[in-house]
Amino acid sequence: MRVRASDVAWVVGGAVLFVLVWQAVVVVGGFRPFVLPSPFSVATRFVEAWRDGTMEPHVATTLGEIALGFAAGAATGLVVGYLLARSRMAERLLSPYIVAAQATPVLAVAPLLALWFGTGLLSKVIICALIVFFPIAVSTMVGIRSVDAELLEMCRAFRATPSQVLAKVEVPGALPSILGGFRVGVTLAVIGAIVGEWAGGERGLGVLINLARGSLFDTPLLFATLATIALIGIALYMAVVLLERRLVGARG
Amino acid sequence: MRRLTSLALATMLLAAACSGGGSPGPSVPPVSPSPSVPASALTPTKLTVGLGYIPSVQFAQFYLAQQAGYYRDAGLDVTFQNKIDPDLITLVGQGAVDIGIADGTSVIPAVSQGIPVRYVATIYAQFPNVVYARESSGIRTAGDLKSRKLGTPGKFGSSWIMLQALLGSAGLTTNDVSIQLYPDFGQGAALQQGAVDAATGFINNEPVQLEQSGTPATLLKVDSIVPLPGNGLIASSDGIQAKSTPLKAFVAATLRAMNDVIADPQKGLDAAVAAVPELGKDRALQLAILKATIDTWQSAYTKAHGLGAIDRDGWTKTVAFMTGLPDHPVARQVSVDELVSEALLPK
Repeated sequence: MRVRASDVAWVVGGAVLFVLVWQAVVVVGGFRPFVLPSPFSVATRFVEAWRDGTMEPHVATTLGEIALGFAAGAATGLVVGYLLARSRMAERLLSPYIVAAQATPVLAVAPLLALWFGTGLLSKVIICALIVFFPIAVSTMVGIRSVDAELLEMCRAFRATPSQVLAKVEVPGALPSILGGFRVGVTLAVIGAIVGEWAGGERGLGVLINLARGSLFDTPLLFATLATIALIGIALYMAVVLLERRLVGARG
Repeated sequence: MRRLTSLALATMLLAAACSGGGSPGPSVPPVSPSPSVPASALTPTKLTVGLGYIPSVQFAQFYLAQQAGYYRDAGLDVTFQNKIDPDLITLVGQGAVDIGIADGTSVIPAVSQGIPVRYVATIYAQFPNVVYARESSGIRTAGDLKSRKLGTPGKFGSSWIMLQALLGSAGLTTNDVSIQLYPDFGQGAALQQGAVDAATGFINNEPVQLEQSGTPATLLKVDSIVPLPGNGLIASSDGIQAKSTPLKAFVAATLRAMNDVIADPQKGLDAAVAAVPELGKDRALQLAILKATIDTWQSAYTKAHGLGAIDRDGWTKTVAFMTGLPDHPVARQVSVDELVSEALLPK
């Protein structure tokens, strides 16, 4: 996969424009640093927080939660999505609960999960998994249903086993849709981890946000933490895009 | 052509952002009526007042001053807003809230980070955050907490600062205690169920509820170790100058109502129930909470200097203590003059 210079230029140009607009808002609006810090002070605090070791343990904790939560949510979403696609009974039975679970704000559920499962890793993994589950289940269901019916008919004609049909026809056919769900799911996993940490925890970027905001009143550190979260989200999204390009090729 | 379009788009974005979009530009202090004209003779001066997160009987003095017309007679039109401490301090510093009640131990890190607020009147003359335990737990002193399970909402904020001071007095650190986190303030329930041996709480809330349920409680207080400043009224540095007259009137009216509630707690309870009818469901409990609250309003210092008086010596000791804490809540050295102002207190 080659990266074109013009693509890089657009990304860098967009970032420069974003920083310029931010700085203009700070200067023209006359905002004091505790309301809206300048990009320079945030960048300085960002570097300082990484250098003095403030950021690292929190990032490691959040990444661990994201990895486990995404793995659990994606695995469950794939299985349930397949069931929904292939079993009308499963769809009728499960759909109302799945939609209801998705419609319930995770912010309201998170404290309950922390109460039931403690404020350790487990509750955060569950929160992450819950939020990741829905887009992957739905994208899997849509992907499996969109598999060419004639191909499936042909498999039956050649007496292919269910595992052969799954591996050779259904998964390859549904992969673009499933990976689309992964793109959404992986960014939601970041949100899930942060929400889980807000519901209780000793470490993690969500905890650092609370510390910066509620205990230290360090607005530049708050922004530096938000920037770190955004960078993690972008990195994970790009990882899925790269995986997608490798498995199904570039779109468009 | 594409380059021109891009340039135009970028210019539009910059222009839109620079226009501010009606966002709160805090650089100009708000205009106040001339101090030479009595406020009551004019249209009432609007004041936005920030109270704690949840409307409660602990704010009885504010409700009473509102209902008894003390604020109105002082030429004020007061609106209450309930906010959590960090939000409130920032909003007061920004000028979006005129005056509010905030924790003294939060004011120190906030000012050290450049948030322009001052603590202008003491409400809780004794630090309200305590460690409490069931009497049957055998916990009598801070030293008894060693290796015991202690529930607290999180490793930050005033309770965490108090806990470090308390444990430090017994030569312990928070590592010597098994800390159990209850971010939704479930540590009180955990204590009642025996899941923890002790918990942090507010002297006028959880321990009162425990006692009311028939379980005697032991309290470990921090005041004799480090006189941490409790909740008090804060105003912005600009506001103290620009709205001096109405803010002084507000403080005086509030202190008057505090004296009324001290003299007759029932009056305070009635005002709180009128403001928050849900509190009327268990008046006995609410009265007990109010009486415990009243106790914290007064100390030897306020008895000598009057309600609302600010103990500068206590603030000096607290700054020194917080500056030495391992999680560095104080970003830079701050003087007590930067933290407190007696300008709004009655002479």
